[in-house]
Amino acid sequence: MSIVLTELTRRFDDVPVVNHISLEIRDGELFVLLGGSGSGKSTLLRLIAGLLEPDEGRIELDGKDVTWLPPQARGVGFVFQNYSIFRHMTAAQNIEFGLRIRGVPKANRSQRVEELLELVGLSGLGARYPDQLSGGQQQRVALARALAYHPAVLLLDEPFGALDVKIRVQMRQSLKEIQRRLKVTTILVTHDQEEAFELGDRVGVIERGHLIEVGSPEALYHYPRTEFVATFIGGGNVLVGRAIAGQIQLGSVTLPLPANAPRHDEGAPVRILFRPESVLLRAEPFDARCDIHVLGQGQIRERVFAGSLQRLRLEVEGLRGVRPVAPLPVYGQHTTLIEAVQPSEEGHLDCYAPGQRLWLGIQTYHVLEPTGLKILICAGESPDMNAAAEYGCRLAQAAQGPATLLAVAESDSAIALARDRVEELRQRWLVQLPRLETRVRQGAIADEILLEAQEGHYELVVLGRTPTPHQMDLEPVARHLLEWIELPVLLVPQPRSPIERMLICTAAGEPGKSDVLFGGRLARRLGAFVTVLHVLRSQAPQEERARAERHLRRAQASLEALGVRCQIKVKEEPALQHILSEAESGDYDLIVIGAPGPRAPYQFRQSDMATQIITSTTRPVLVVPLVE
Amino acid sequence: MNGKPRHVMGLLPISLLLVVLSPLILMPLAAIYIFAVGGGLDAFVRALSNPDAQFALRFSLLIASATALINAILGTFAAYVLSKYRFRGREALTVIVNLPVAIPTVVVGTSLLLLWGPIGLLGQLLDPLGIQPMFAPMGVLLAHLFVTFPYMLGAIKPVLDELEVTYEEASYTIGANRWQTFRFVLLPALRGGLFSGTLLTFAHSLGEFGATVMVSGNLRLRTQTAPLYIFSQFEAGNLEAANAVAAVLATLSFVLFFGLLRFTQLRRERTA
Repeated sequence: MSIVLTELTRRFDDVPVVNHISLEIRDGELFVLLGGSGSGKSTLLRLIAGLLEPDEGRIELDGKDVTWLPPQARGVGFVFQNYSIFRHMTAAQNIEFGLRIRGVPKANRSQRVEELLELVGLSGLGARYPDQLSGGQQQRVALARALAYHPAVLLLDEPFGALDVKIRVQMRQSLKEIQRRLKVTTILVTHDQEEAFELGDRVGVIERGHLIEVGSPEALYHYPRTEFVATFIGGGNVLVGRAIAGQIQLGSVTLPLPANAPRHDEGAPVRILFRPESVLLRAEPFDARCDIHVLGQGQIRERVFAGSLQRLRLEVEGLRGVRPVAPLPVYGQHTTLIEAVQPSEEGHLDCYAPGQRLWLGIQTYHVLEPTGLKILICAGESPDMNAAAEYGCRLAQAAQGPATLLAVAESDSAIALARDRVEELRQRWLVQLPRLETRVRQGAIADEILLEAQEGHYELVVLGRTPTPHQMDLEPVARHLLEWIELPVLLVPQPRSPIERMLICTAAGEPGKSDVLFGGRLARRLGAFVTVLHVLRSQAPQEERARAERHLRRAQASLEALGVRCQIKVKEEPALQHILSEAESGDYDLIVIGAPGPRAPYQFRQSDMATQIITSTTRPVLVVPLVE
Repeated sequence: MNGKPRHVMGLLPISLLLVVLSPLILMPLAAIYIFAVGGGLDAFVRALSNPDAQFALRFSLLIASATALINAILGTFAAYVLSKYRFRGREALTVIVNLPVAIPTVVVGTSLLLLWGPIGLLGQLLDPLGIQPMFAPMGVLLAHLFVTFPYMLGAIKPVLDELEVTYEEASYTIGANRWQTFRFVLLPALRGGLFSGTLLTFAHSLGEFGATVMVSGNLRLRTQTAPLYIFSQFEAGNLEAANAVAAVLATLSFVLFFGLLRFTQLRRERTA
């Protein structure tokens, strides 16, 4: 291994710019670090070169620990985007600088300079000064200069970024050839996906300081693990369905969940990727015998001519309501568009005119890894109402899923304040939650929380609650979240720090299972201990007791299957009293209770169990809609 | 018919400027030379060969050379530190080292006397040891270093500021240490700034009067610089002696100035 990075971390003002990156690069490999601006890719390169010191971690070059060595002692060749060749030296003097420093005799130096000039295609231009050379030529000099002293590794920081497109393509070719010939281990940093694919033996995608995925260009394109890589690399369709009974439910379309796909909890969102070129379009319905997954009939909405290809966007009836991750839905778009490409053959243009109706099928699709619980955290209206935000952030940290911090400003003038509020919280949680997103919306609090929850396709909403019983502005939000979009709601009335013990109450009457499953998923991520408390009606008939027992056995089995430690408790009415006393005596950090879904005529009022618990305890309460 | 009036109109501002500038700058300069050679070349040479005049000119050249040399090193060092290192109070320090431009030179002289003079803060400690920096060549040098310091800094720091960080970093990754990087990479880039800064410092030192008159004690054949000599001779009524040295000083300044002008022109042409 030429380059071994172990848990490398570098912060600027407490912000991790390179965040626990571990990476091994093989001898002679051309490795490309691909990332947007500010992703930390250049910082990583500078750490390897020794131009920056890491806060944590280890760097090995050629088997030697160089973490704390100065750049001079590392023997790396570095090429900068702005060339940085020395203006007062000729091309030849630039190239031999490293040899001069190392005390190599003049004759040997000249010979090596000639070799290198020829290697980079600048023979005869050695006597020129940088200002007599073009940008591409200057970069060739910089490359030769970095190679002159046979560096152990070659590091290139966006080397072609300042060149125009035509030269860039030539330079890529040259670099690839030179690298192949010298077999020098190379890391190239770029934001250009095409460049990454063309040059890289392997590509590492870096985003916000995290090395998200590493793989061959083909693997990253066809089988990415994450949504970020799926959408960052190439165009594609990423749709979110649900895992239902071993299948993927995608609107009215059902696709099999492949055996080799990553494990999905029942009911969890499943994101699938298929590239535009794998979308098949037919005027006639597909033959049922061929091995094609039919998405249904669609209508062409948009056609863009792009030379050899034409890009199409189609609206598919059967996918209505399915949330698209990519192509990114435009503002106000309610339908799901699918992107497809077709070769631009003359004479076939009419078949793909906008408005045409066609059948869509896909031969293959790829299932992305589940992200973990997606949480929406609603920030309180003032800093002293941040109990929910703090609790939510702690939950998000434990769940390791994507989380969004939302503040709602009721008026124009409050927007700046709301922004400050979420920014302050984000800064506070930056180290633990580097990927915490923030969002500020303007409008009525209840409406905006509901809209955000719906648009962002969260799996859990964390709300604050003031302890006064007649507080009216958040209660309707909770009710609507539960009833309209069937979203679990976590109410946090007071600050509470650890989340170690969880009490799942399966209410008296018909036992549900979604509360146990959701609570279990959460407990698994938190590593929490779970008590399942079931309250029977007093003098319940024998058959009801037997059913409750079966239900509890199943609950215990599914919790244990998730790897959650749990115990079962059975009590008799009155339910509220037992639940509250159990919550107090066991000092639970979270109470989970099911609430009947919209299909059951459900009233989120004073009378029902969930409301009664919420108004009688200061502990966080998670209300899970019961859907069967 | 149209061209002529415009031509005249175009010349008007130029002539006006010349008319204004003549009594302000051009004629005084001419007067020096007219008076210097007014008594004939013999008188001019005689005035210059006076031992006091000879000493004053040589002393001035010596002090100016020493000032330029010392400040070239000191100024480069200061510019390097101020430009390449980030530390608390860097901004404040940058302002302070540029302050001498704004302080009246007489005040500079006073401040030096109050520090190094026989009753000064440090001077009173040194006096019993027989060390007297003031009213000695050392005092003149100190005053000139103080007064001309910002010129060197001003010529070099902008050049260093403009060099990309990657310029040095490239040198480090290639294997050069800090000194080699300075010697082979930065210093060559500073050549222009160093040259003009040195010339500017030399010229200013040659003409320095206010601070010098305070700290030197104006001792003939010991601390009397050329400007002080001119002043003394004028006061004593020896116009010829004063004018001769003044003419030499003026000529030296012209040569330095045109050299500087030519140099910056050449550089601009090369970079263009």
